[in-house]
Amino acid sequence: MDMTFVTNLLLASVHMATPLIFLALAELYSQRAGLVHIGIEGLAAIGSLTGFLVSYISGSPMTGMFLGALMGILVNMIYAYATITLCAEQTVYGMIINIFALALASFIYRVYFGAGASLAQVNLMSTLSSALGITSDNFFVELLLDQTLMVYLAYGLVLFTAVYFNKTKSGLNYKAVGEYPKAAATLGINVIGVKYVASIICGALAGMGGAYLTTCYSTTYVDGNVAGRGFIALAAVIFGRWSAGGVLLACLFFGFCDALQIRLQISGSSMPYQFFQMIPYIATVAVLTLIGAKKAGPKGAGKPYRKEER
Amino acid sequence: MRKRIAALALALAMVLSLAACGGDNSSKQPGGDKKDDGQGSDKVYRIAMVTDSSITDGSWGTVTYNAMVDAATERGWQYECADAIAQSAYYDTFASYCDQGFDIVYAPGNQYTDAILEVAKEYPDVVFAQLNGSMGTPEKAENGNVMVMFPDSHEIGWTAGILAGLMTQTNTVAFIGAIELDTTQGKYAGFKESAEYVGKQEGKSVTVLDPVYSGDFNASDKGIEFAKALMDQGADVFFGDAGAVDSGARQAIDEHNTAAGKVEVYDIAQPADLLGQNECIICSQVTDNSSLVSMCMESVENGTFEGGAVYGTMGNGVLSAGKISDLVPKEIQDKYNAYLEQVKAGTFMK
Amino acid sequence: MKHSGKLISVLVPLVSVMMAFVIGCAIIAILGASPVTALQALWTGAFGTARNISTTLSRATPLIFTSLCACFAYRCGVFNLGGEGQFMMGSIICCYIATRTGLTGLPAILLCLLAGAVFGGLWAMIPGILKVFRGQNEMIISIMLNYVASLFMSVIYTNWLRDGTVPQTAAVPDETRLTRIFGRATTGFLIALVVGALIYYFLFNTSMGFQLRAVGLNMTTAEYNGFAVKKYILLSFIVSGAIAGLGGSAELLGTQYRLISGFASGYGFDGVAMALIGQLHPLATMAVAIFFAALRVGSTAMQTATGVPTSVSDIIQALVIVFTVAGLAMVKLPSFKTALARLHMKKEAA
Repeated sequence: MDMTFVTNLLLASVHMATPLIFLALAELYSQRAGLVHIGIEGLAAIGSLTGFLVSYISGSPMTGMFLGALMGILVNMIYAYATITLCAEQTVYGMIINIFALALASFIYRVYFGAGASLAQVNLMSTLSSALGITSDNFFVELLLDQTLMVYLAYGLVLFTAVYFNKTKSGLNYKAVGEYPKAAATLGINVIGVKYVASIICGALAGMGGAYLTTCYSTTYVDGNVAGRGFIALAAVIFGRWSAGGVLLACLFFGFCDALQIRLQISGSSMPYQFFQMIPYIATVAVLTLIGAKKAGPKGAGKPYRKEER
Repeated sequence: MRKRIAALALALAMVLSLAACGGDNSSKQPGGDKKDDGQGSDKVYRIAMVTDSSITDGSWGTVTYNAMVDAATERGWQYECADAIAQSAYYDTFASYCDQGFDIVYAPGNQYTDAILEVAKEYPDVVFAQLNGSMGTPEKAENGNVMVMFPDSHEIGWTAGILAGLMTQTNTVAFIGAIELDTTQGKYAGFKESAEYVGKQEGKSVTVLDPVYSGDFNASDKGIEFAKALMDQGADVFFGDAGAVDSGARQAIDEHNTAAGKVEVYDIAQPADLLGQNECIICSQVTDNSSLVSMCMESVENGTFEGGAVYGTMGNGVLSAGKISDLVPKEIQDKYNAYLEQVKAGTFMK
Repeated sequence: MKHSGKLISVLVPLVSVMMAFVIGCAIIAILGASPVTALQALWTGAFGTARNISTTLSRATPLIFTSLCACFAYRCGVFNLGGEGQFMMGSIICCYIATRTGLTGLPAILLCLLAGAVFGGLWAMIPGILKVFRGQNEMIISIMLNYVASLFMSVIYTNWLRDGTVPQTAAVPDETRLTRIFGRATTGFLIALVVGALIYYFLFNTSMGFQLRAVGLNMTTAEYNGFAVKKYILLSFIVSGAIAGLGGSAELLGTQYRLISGFASGYGFDGVAMALIGQLHPLATMAVAIFFAALRVGSTAMQTATGVPTSVSDIIQALVIVFTVAGLAMVKLPSFKTALARLHMKKEAA
């Protein structure tokens, strides 16, 4: 157990946490507008595939990331229309988005790469240090500079979200929609509009989180590469108690568990590594058990909002 | 009001599509069964592959798929493939190809053994060709319709280990596996033996790190993290038997080399010549799987199929070493080739 | 008016299926294959021969269990999205009893089925208790517990009950396997049918079933009428988990024989979707499960006949779900109901 082990474990934690941050923010924006969304996994899958395909064809990971976000929005509009306009049960429809988007991603991949059995690889987004031409083994240089643009964006978004929800009028209105939609409507807030905006933000962030995996992390694509991260993001939002700062800490903690779990597998420890993989899920159940229903998230979350017609 | 109209319009659209679909449905009824394989001398033989890897993984899946395609093209067979099949669905997938009357069902890996034996019991007329099976499998098949094709995994490990032992600067080499299959363990054992042996001949003490297993052939992200952690432990030559996980490992190695500004960590690929796919690949251990598949097809065509095992070794030419990268200095290449001659002649480590 | 409500509840899933197939056919045509041939192959693959029918029924069996599990809980107004985890927990204890206790034959089968149901019920009790006593969102908790169960199962087959080199448990001995009634369909399918019939009887012909449904329709009214709402919610969770757990046992003893990677993956969510398409009617739900199983079984035949990838079938299945649930939500909209009522009045006036 030397210094390199510790520093590399921390670096790996940050790497593992970044896609989670995007996905968890997607969930947070959705829930804050009263939409519980368990379909983040599916949105990320389609974002991941789009990011991969586009950067494979165009050679530009940035374009891949952008279109991944766009595709996330597009698919999430199905969810938005069904849950906001048609008032379908949110959790059920989120589940449906998972089934649909995963099938779609797998289908597109198979149709595009079908018979040609050779490894398709893409270029990843370059890191700041390589753009600046810095090479160093220093831990702080690696931590702060050896990252892609998306990592800085993720942390920037966390900061922005924290300020937006707590310090701006627009953010407070947004939260009101998730808490007391009827009251918000009487204050002249366009509840339906806010919910649709939330779905656009959610789709974009989830698509980016998925695209991160194929434009910043892995040069190849395999079916199921999101690997449950969408649900860990859901756990992170609950574990982080629906605040931007809390979500960030939860993501870092879950990222740390993931990085540790991988190293545990290598060290040949007799403790099954799966127990470490369980931590996010058990932690979530524990948090929900402890805090009680009243504090469990926006009060209007999960309930359909029907605008009275008469 | 707008909402009402929208709702009505939607309902109308639904009804219209129902009508459209009704027409579509009725038209499909009278269509006769056009597909007929035709019997007699010009029968078109068909082979189906079932694999848990993705055939686009750039490693085991791709190579074993191409082996089937090459053999099928050469012999004029039709082929089908179902890839990325979960372990729990092996049986169903095998059975569904059998139901469709395929002549050979081909599966590349030891993990299919149990499912193959189950299905082979129920479909005595279908031939099961398993690459990398266990020695005892054909005898266990009651109907004698299972054939295992057996590239000597120990020898594959040897040839990779020789190069690793010659090339390592840090005197530490690593092996990444997916599942603890007999063949994977055989490759590791051979790799370890020969890397240590060759190291000693060169006057250095080579440490072969314990093998790591991803548990899944498609987890390329695990390959990335595994390789990073193993490089932290000082490994500078990698060998693997893990499909897309290998591709992930190579990505991490390439990234490390780019950051270091020179290629200082190497990877040995298998089971086809993958030189050039990644910068870090210095050589590949090549198995001519297509000749094995082709042998099996031939025996089915001639009606001489009788199960059993076929072996592939350096000696009979099924195994060989691929092209060597320029990263390997000339004198090491010469030494490597000398060792390979020993393996071929059966005198290595004796 | 009531009559048309019923009509709509049948019409929505039917129209959704049609729409999904129209889109599916369009995709097939765009891929350059003939939709007619594809649909024919799909049909033959699923129902063409007795053997194919038996395969379809065997594939439907676990889906029937998980969809009945979802159906039962939803009848009481709670969502059990944890069917997959409960199914796995049932199969885990079943696997232990069948492979480790030395018991074989009928006593082992009965004990396995019972223990599976008990374990599934216990696992479902966790979200049930948290819902009843802590007022928590049962859906989120049951999803989280799915992952815990799935990882726990992975510990079981890679560590604790592992048998041999491949990460999987030992196979259930021959004497403890469920009998095959025809082809691949086992008595597990019959058990599923019986469970479905029992649930139907319980829900619609007993006073307890009536009260349970009353709780599901309107919790506040039910509480006002003095029904023990909390008791019913907890009960519905436990029974629903027991159904899934029983299914896990039946699947292990009837089809899979061993725990392996990918076991039961996706069954839970699929079950919820099928229950919703079946309008929470136990018998309709079973029919929907068979329909989905047919789409899955037939898709490999479709791939062979037309070269269209099997994932087209996944898309069709997903679209059926997407359309049905959206359609059902739509017809519940107040605006839709008023529009419908108006249409009626006009008709009657005319």
